[in-house]
Amino acid sequence: MMEPATVVGHDAVRLSRIPNFRGLFALLVLALRQQVRGWRLIILGLLFLLPGALAAIVYEAAPASARRSSPAEVFDFVFLFMLIPHALAPLAALLCAGGIVRDEVEEQTLTYLLLRPLPRMAIYTVKLLAALIIAALLTSFFTVATLVFIAWLSGEPPTVGYVAQGMTIAAIFSLAQVAYCGLFALLALLMRRALLVGVIYIIFFEGLLATFDTIARRMTVMYYFRLLVLRWLNPARGVTWEFNLKTAPTAANCVLTLLVAGFVLAIVGSLIFASREFRMKTPEGE
Amino acid sequence: MNAVIEFDGVSKWYGNVIGLNKLTVRIAAGVTGLLGPNGAGKSTMLQLATGQLRPSQGEVRVLGHRTWNNAALMRHIGLCPEQDAFYEWMTGLGFVRTCARLTGMSLRKATAAAEKAIARVGMTDNMGRRIRGYSKGMRQRIKLAQALVHEPRVLLLDEPFTGTDPVARRDLSAVIRELGESGHSVVVSSHVLHEVETLTTNIVLVHRGRLVAEGQIQQIRDLIDRHPHRIILVSDDYRSLAAKLVCWDDVEGVNVLRDRQALLIETRTPDSFYARLPAIALETVTPIREVYSDDNNLEAVFKYLVGK
Repeated sequence: MMEPATVVGHDAVRLSRIPNFRGLFALLVLALRQQVRGWRLIILGLLFLLPGALAAIVYEAAPASARRSSPAEVFDFVFLFMLIPHALAPLAALLCAGGIVRDEVEEQTLTYLLLRPLPRMAIYTVKLLAALIIAALLTSFFTVATLVFIAWLSGEPPTVGYVAQGMTIAAIFSLAQVAYCGLFALLALLMRRALLVGVIYIIFFEGLLATFDTIARRMTVMYYFRLLVLRWLNPARGVTWEFNLKTAPTAANCVLTLLVAGFVLAIVGSLIFASREFRMKTPEGE
Repeated sequence: MNAVIEFDGVSKWYGNVIGLNKLTVRIAAGVTGLLGPNGAGKSTMLQLATGQLRPSQGEVRVLGHRTWNNAALMRHIGLCPEQDAFYEWMTGLGFVRTCARLTGMSLRKATAAAEKAIARVGMTDNMGRRIRGYSKGMRQRIKLAQALVHEPRVLLLDEPFTGTDPVARRDLSAVIRELGESGHSVVVSSHVLHEVETLTTNIVLVHRGRLVAEGQIQQIRDLIDRHPHRIILVSDDYRSLAAKLVCWDDVEGVNVLRDRQALLIETRTPDSFYARLPAIALETVTPIREVYSDDNNLEAVFKYLVGK
C-alpha cells in the first residue's frame, strides 16, 4: 500500500446548537403535503362517505312508520358512534400514521431528511404530528358532515347546541386519533406488515375486546372514546356499552389517558427512529 | 493539508455481510476520487460519513465531529446520493427549495439559494417542470443542486455520473472541478477510473470493504505497471501469430483463446510491445483484426493491487 496523504489534523468546525425551528416547520409543511397527496386521501374520503350513504339507503328503504320514530338518534348512534369510531377513524389513523417512515424508506427519500440539520427524534415527531393533523381533520370533518346529513335526512335538525355538538364530536375523535396515530406509527416502525397487523388490531382489540366488560378493555382506545361520548354527548338514551358511569373514569381522566398514551407512544417511536439505521440500497447493491 | 474526513478502524457489518473491514483512511481537503468496483463499500463509506449509518466498530469523523446522529453537522455536509429517488411530484425548484428550507433558511433565502444552485448545474430552463418528467441527466443535476443548495463545506457525490449522457457528464465534471477550486472538499465515488481521472489526481481505492491504496493516481498507475499487462490480439491466423510472439523478449506469456480466435499476451513493457506491433501486423498474412487491453477496467486494477 502507498503512503497516505499528508494529514496532520482535522479542519474542525464549531457546530451551531441553535434549534432549527424553520427547518422543522418546513418539514411539517412537507409532511402535510405528502399526507394529502395520492390515493390515500381519496380512499379515505370515499370510505367516510359510506356512513352517510348507508344512512340514506336505510332511511329510504324503511317503512313510513319507522321514519317517524326519531331515526336521527338511531342513525347517529349506529353510524357516528359505531361505524366511524370502530372502523373508519382507526383506519384513517393507520393509513396516515403507518406510512410516515415506511413510505419514505420505500421511496428512498428518507435520505433527503436525514441529510438535513434536523434531529432524528424531531423528524419522527413532526411527521407524526402531520399524520395526526390530517387524520383528526379528516375524521372530524366527515363525522360532523355525516351528523349534518343525518339531521337533514331525518328532518330533525338539532337547533339547540348544534355547533357545540359538532365541536364536541370533533374533539373526541381528535383525542382518539392522538392515541391511534401514536400506536400505528410505532407499529409500522416495528414490523413490516404493519397494515395487516393494524387491521387485525382494529378488529380484535378495538372491535371485540372493547365490547366485553373486562379489565382488558381499559387497554383500548375505544373504551375511553365511548366513555367520553357517554359523558359529553349521551347519544342514545339507554345505551351504555355496559359502563357503570358511577365507577368509570371521569371525562378528564379519559382525556388525560388518551393524551398521555399518544405522547408516550410518540416518544417511544421517536427514540426507536433515532437509534435505527435506514440503509438505502444502491443500484449496485452495496 | 488537513483531514476533512477520517475513518479510524471502521468496520460495518450488515448481519453476516461485511461492508467495511477495519478501514482507516483520512481524506484531505480538495477533490478526492473514491474508487472501487461494485460492492466495494463506497456507498457504505459515504453513508457513514453522512451519519446515515452507525459504524459497527471504529469511528467516523467529518470536520472533526462524529457523524452518527449529529444533526448540527449536516449544515456543513452535502450528499448527492446514488439512488434515483425524489419527491417526484415536486418541480425541480420546489424540491431544491424544500431541501434548502429544511436546513433552516427562510422562504426568500431558500428560493434564492435554490435558484443559484440550479443555475450552477445548468437546470434553470427546466426548474419549473415536475421531476417525474426529467431525463436521467436532469435528475442527476437536480440531485447535485440539492446537495449544493446550503453551500456545504464537504460535498459527497455517490456515482454522480451514473446514467448520464456525455453532455451532462461534461457539465457535471466542470461543476465538480469548480467546487474543488472554490475551496470545497469534494469526494466523488465511482467505479470507473477514467471518470475520476478527469476530476482529480488524488484517489482512495477500496475493494471488498478494505483500503487498497490511497494517494496520487500516477502512483497507482506505477504500481500497476509493475505487473504484467494483458493485451488481447484478435486474428484469424492466431496460431502463426502466437508462434512469432513467443520469440519476443518482452512477451512473458501467450495464451490461446480458441473460442475468440484471439491471443492473450502478457507483457511488462506494454509501450515497447505496442511500438513493435505494427511491424508484425504487416508481416502476417492474415491481419490482426482487433487489439485491446484487458486492463482497462478497474476490476483488473484491483486484481493487481490485492494480488489476485
